[in-house]
This record gives sequence, structure tokens and C-alpha cells, in this order.
Amino acid sequence: MQVCQRKHKCLVVIPALNEAETITEVIAKINESGYRNVVVVNDASDDLTAPIARAAGAMVISLPERLGAWGALQTGIRFAIRKNYDTVVTLDADGQHPPEHIESLVSALYDGQANVVIGCFPQRGSKLRQIAWHWIRNASGIQLSDLTSGFRAYDGQAQRLVAGWRGSLLEYQDVGVLLLLQRHHLRVQDVNVTMTERRVGQSRIFYNWSVVAYYMLHTLLLSAAKRKVRRATSGNRMEGVDLT
Amino acid sequence: MIVAVTSAIGVSVAIVIVLLIRGDRLRVANGLMWLIAAFVMAGLGFTPSVFDYLASMVGISYPPALAFSVAFGMIVIKLLVDDIHRTRLQIKHARLIQRVALLEYELKIVNDGEPGTQNDDKDN
Repeated sequence: MQVCQRKHKCLVVIPALNEAETITEVIAKINESGYRNVVVVNDASDDLTAPIARAAGAMVISLPERLGAWGALQTGIRFAIRKNYDTVVTLDADGQHPPEHIESLVSALYDGQANVVIGCFPQRGSKLRQIAWHWIRNASGIQLSDLTSGFRAYDGQAQRLVAGWRGSLLEYQDVGVLLLLQRHHLRVQDVNVTMTERRVGQSRIFYNWSVVAYYMLHTLLLSAAKRKVRRATSGNRMEGVDLT
Repeated sequence: MIVAVTSAIGVSVAIVIVLLIRGDRLRVANGLMWLIAAFVMAGLGFTPSVFDYLASMVGISYPPALAFSVAFGMIVIKLLVDDIHRTRLQIKHARLIQRVALLEYELKIVNDGEPGTQNDDKDN
């Protein structure tokens, strides 16, 4: 498929909660990279995220109640399915994920090696985040270098899986989605990208000890419960280009 | 004395359940299990010898301990069943919110001509 054709069939989904300060720039950069179909899922923001995003040229879907980042993302993916988009790219509204790398993710997806491509930047994050990833990797058996990156590209099969009711059981967009993909034998690939620090606002998780503690307990329990049980003869792991 | 207290609690709970259903505060389906539990409690209060017999059958020398254990087990099961049910409701709730948002967006396109998409609709 031609590059311009696949850009036309790709929907960029941005979950946004109170991102009025950054959303315009993020949408503009996405458009500059050639991706014109952008949907902002407004997660019941208290500020002017929705009208600002609309003025910047994005489609805006406003949730009547706050569902969290994953609930907002899933809404965007359901929208993509309704509208027959081939590919969904998800990225954060805070400007951490550089839109110029969208093409790398989509190209990798079209190479056919994976159902989901993740933009990884393992160097990011604090020591605390690195320790958290280490524990989660051990608990889940997933060896991807950047477990929590929300910069991802999904093909149609992966979209349908994560948009279903099993996806609605998840509270966060990261490890639970990977475990769901693994369980259904979908392939995940990571691609190295560079990311920047968020300029304004704060992480939804790594900003408060009690929230971090809840996130860790939640994710470790989910990882242990959903961990793939491997037979002695098979060594399938979700690692780099592989996959299950 | 314990007979009177247990029976009174059972009968009181049964009356409260009926009043809640009567006042549209509780669905019949949800009240039914509590009503049965209340009658069982009242019944056992009136016939404590049943528990004495059951306790001796399983080797428990203090029959009320059996009653507490059974009651505790039933409460744990009930809470677990309720949480399973709550999980289903939370999924439905979240998906309905998403569906409302999607339909509101499509309605807005129809009414205001907001930027849409060139692709065809496909029902999900």
C-alpha cells in the first residue's frame, strides 16, 4: 500500500485530560507528519481541551464521565473500528511522543511482523520507574524494554481484540493490554524512538506514592494472574520482535 | 436468651427486607437471598438443637463456633458474588459511556457538520 494511502487509512487517537496547554501543538505536529485523521478523546476535562482541540482541526469525542486514559483510548479505538480505519496510532496529549516517529511505527506494522508496534524509549523515567518495570517484567514474563509506553500502533485484529469487553476489564493502557494480546497470540514488536519529558502537567501514575502503590499492586496481581503458563518445551516470550 | 436474640434478629431482618421492597429501595431479586437468610437465622434461633447436632457431627465442641463459621463463609461468598456482578456492571457502564460519546459525536456531525471522516460507517 502506498504511504499516502496508509496515512489516509490511519487514525491517530489521543486521550486527553486537561491538556489545553499542549494539545494544539501536538495536533499540529501530527498533521505536519502527514497524518490528518486525528481524534482527541476528551476524558471529561475540566479545562478547554475539547474546543481547543476542535479548533486545531481534530475530531473530538467527549466522554460524559471520566473513564481514565485507557477508557478514553478504547473509545478512540472503537471509533476507528466503526469508521473502518486500518491502523490506529495512540499517543499522549502531553507532547512526550514525537509525531515524527508515527511513520516508523506504521511502517513496522505494515511489514507484517506484528499486530502491535510499540514506540519504546527505555531510557526515560526515574529510577523508581525502572525498578517498577523490572518487577513487572518478572511477574508478567513480558520482556519488552518499555512496558508502559502509550505510543503504539494497532492493526485491525489487535483493535478488535482490545476494543472488546475483555479490554473493558482493564484499568490501565500498558501491561494489561500486552497480556491480553499475548493471551490471544497476537504479535508485538518494539521500535526505538526518542521521547521528551512532558512540559506541563504530571504523569497520571508516577506522581503520588499512594497512586504508585495501587498501580504496582494492581499491575503485579494482573501480571501474575494472566502470566502465560509455558510448557517446558516451548519458550515463547513476548520479546522484541516476537512474539507468541 | 440466645434463642430469643437470634430469632429476633432473623425476624427483624426479614421485616426490614419486606419494607425495603415495599418502599422500592430494593429489587425483589436482590432481597430474596437476604429474606431466605433471615428465615434460616430465625429458624435456627428457634431450634438451637440443630446446631448442637451438626457441631457434634463435625467434632466442634462449642456449637456457636460452627454457626459463626458458616455465617462468615456465607457472607464471604455473598460479597464475592456481588463483586463479580459489580465487575459486569462496571464493564457495561464504561462501554455505555463510550457508546454515548460516540453517538453524541455522530449526532454532532449530522447537526453541525463537524469534521468527520471519508470512510464508511461500520456498526460495532
